[in-house]
Amino acid sequence: MKLHIVNRSPASSQVHAQAVTAMGPDDRLLLIEDGVQGALPQLVRYFEDIPGRLYALREDLEARGLVGRCDASVQVVDVDGFVQLTEEAEQTVSWY
Amino acid sequence: MRYAILLMGAPYSHQASHSALRFARAVLARGHRLEAVFFYHDGVHNAARLASPPQDEPHLVDAWAALGAEHDVPLLVCIAAALRRGLLDSREASRHGKAGHSVEAPFELTGLGQLVDLGLRSDRLVTFGP
Repeated sequence: MKLHIVNRSPASSQVHAQAVTAMGPDDRLLLIEDGVQGALPQLVRYFEDIPGRLYALREDLEARGLVGRCDASVQVVDVDGFVQLTEEAEQTVSWY
Repeated sequence: MRYAILLMGAPYSHQASHSALRFARAVLARGHRLEAVFFYHDGVHNAARLASPPQDEPHLVDAWAALGAEHDVPLLVCIAAALRRGLLDSREASRHGKAGHSVEAPFELTGLGQLVDLGLRSDRLVTFGP
């Protein structure tokens, strides 16, 4: 299982599509930095192919005033959870 | 576990430096070993000795140096990426006939082979791009 890390908003970049296409059946995807916009209900549709495997970084949501605005399908983790996700993955792939 | 971080974003231009620093601290807090931080592409600007941000803003260069000193983490700077951006230690400054230097310990200029080595001997290599 790999962890894919996306730091661009799906509203301004296409790397989320490349990441989702490259993902294996067990891979997970973590949204960080401007990427956390992808956790919003109006943008989360871009990740409909990876149900239950989408995460967003709490600190970056907080910095943008988006805590509590995420779609219910997104799992919110803090930076400690970010490290834990990298522990559980064999490799990480960063998309930017 | 043995972790390594590859940082490719310039400070104050992208969030990458802040993200990498926060991740580095969390890695150490969870009891892992941070083998090194490798600064590459525009990420080499994190090693700029003369960086002088306003006092009420985070000082990334000092923060990396403190992290390196406190946890014995090598701060490796790609020499090819650094030299072409005007980031030289005293030895390179002397070699190139420059009056001053812009990189100092604990940052060290090193070759790209060190990144390959880092990837091979670390359990996890996490990249923070621009």
